[in-house]
Amino acid sequence: MPTPFPSEEWVAKYKDAINASADYKVAGKDWTYGVIALICKAKPPVLEKDIGIWLDLEKGVCRDARIVTPEEANKAPFCITGEYDRWKAVIKAELEPIKGMMQGKLKLKGNLPTIVRFVKAAQELVKATNSIDAKFLDE
Amino acid sequence: MGYNSDLNFIYYSPTKILYGMGIVKDIAVELSALGCSKALLVTDKDLSKNTDLTRRVREYLGDKCVGVYDEAVPDSGLHIVNKGAEIGRDLGADSIVSLGGGSAIDTAKGIAILLKEGGKISDYEGFQMLSRKQTPHIAIPTTCGTGSEVTYVAVIKDWDNHRKLLFGDYNIIPDVAILDPELLRSLPAKLVAATGMDALTHAIEAITSPQKEPIADALGLHAIRLVKQNIVEATLVSDIQKKGMLLLASNIAGIAFSNAQVGLAHAIAHTIGARYGIHHGLANSIVLPHVMRFNNEVVFEEQAMIAEALGIKASVSDKELGLLASDAVLKLAESCNLPKRLRDVKVPENELMECAEIALTDGAIVYNGRAVSDPEEILSVLKAAY
Repeated sequence: MPTPFPSEEWVAKYKDAINASADYKVAGKDWTYGVIALICKAKPPVLEKDIGIWLDLEKGVCRDARIVTPEEANKAPFCITGEYDRWKAVIKAELEPIKGMMQGKLKLKGNLPTIVRFVKAAQELVKATNSIDAKFLDE
Repeated sequence: MGYNSDLNFIYYSPTKILYGMGIVKDIAVELSALGCSKALLVTDKDLSKNTDLTRRVREYLGDKCVGVYDEAVPDSGLHIVNKGAEIGRDLGADSIVSLGGGSAIDTAKGIAILLKEGGKISDYEGFQMLSRKQTPHIAIPTTCGTGSEVTYVAVIKDWDNHRKLLFGDYNIIPDVAILDPELLRSLPAKLVAATGMDALTHAIEAITSPQKEPIADALGLHAIRLVKQNIVEATLVSDIQKKGMLLLASNIAGIAFSNAQVGLAHAIAHTIGARYGIHHGLANSIVLPHVMRFNNEVVFEEQAMIAEALGIKASVSDKELGLLASDAVLKLAESCNLPKRLRDVKVPENELMECAEIALTDGAIVYNGRAVSDPEEILSVLKAAY
């Protein structure tokens, strides 16, 4: 059964998908730069308020993933913010996140060169979203 | 060369560009057109002390200049930006005029953020974080390479932690760029050549980037023509007209790479520039022909177009044309009397592998025309350039 995005259930499945990815384990093995948070902007009536997703990543493992407030998400060393439709495009592999940041489709708070050094890991994180059968609330 | 059916891009270049001999005199008019009357002039000590440019621009601004901040230096620091903003705030500045090379313009971009948003510049590290237009900014380049007057990125260094911070945002692109060839009159020949080759690198890497797109291609190709036709004579002190053409090439290539990005030559130049203090344009100039040879396997169609823009006419395959383009770039650097090899600029041979490993972690690597994932690949380029 498809899992609504964004939701606690989707985030839990995402954590499992990251940890099940052998490719991410390799690509992210040197990541020691802390939490990456995502903020999905509200899109009423589909999504009434902004939602944060907290990904505690360390050396190729996702230690924790949970829904947080946007305020909390903003405290992470890296925080990527996007409209609901942008995240949908990322999950559907229609938008490459680093290109999205360069073009202003996604906003990054944090050091871009650090993210870019782990471009392969970033790609694997996106791939992991593809393994979840997501239900988009506006479809 | 065709484009894939999945071509999609955003092209953005909002800067008003003024070009002409003596056009800097219009600065006060341009400032008024932006609705401003209290400009902080941001520049560097070298221009202030060793040229009359700062004094002249200040004069042209008249009572619209509330003060001069001339602390910008190469690899400008966070503290320099923070201090500039503090001074600007104290003076009640409502706009920035930057005068100088990339460092002065980048410093001004940082000050523009703080005058609008407050806080410290490190609070704004990131990409596309700002949600509104920043303090009005008129940029006046005095070198012909960086193109910073039209780009959306500022690089500011954290001197304490030896880290470069990137600030990329459409909201920090300068509102106006004033390109006055007259201001390049005293630019030393070597700097004209090195910054001109920097502009050429921007153009070539934009055209071969995986984020290439037709508008940036068109701009990049014309920038290449302008560099090819003018760089050698522009190094002759008296030829202001040629320097002007290089200034335009730099500007046009700046728009191209701000939209399409740069690649491996820049990743290497950032690395050896930081480690050995080699001028950025010179570093690009040395490695570019070798990067082009390396990339030719993949981007030969693009490099064949570059060959044409470089004036090469030969009935050979695109692959061969791509290689001829790389030879032509090497020859151009030679004609400008620039060093050709890494050994000439004292890069230690036994540190090439270390350089390759660092270059692999540079952001520009993502946008190289040929995907790079192994330091050995970069090492092969460095060895060829040695």
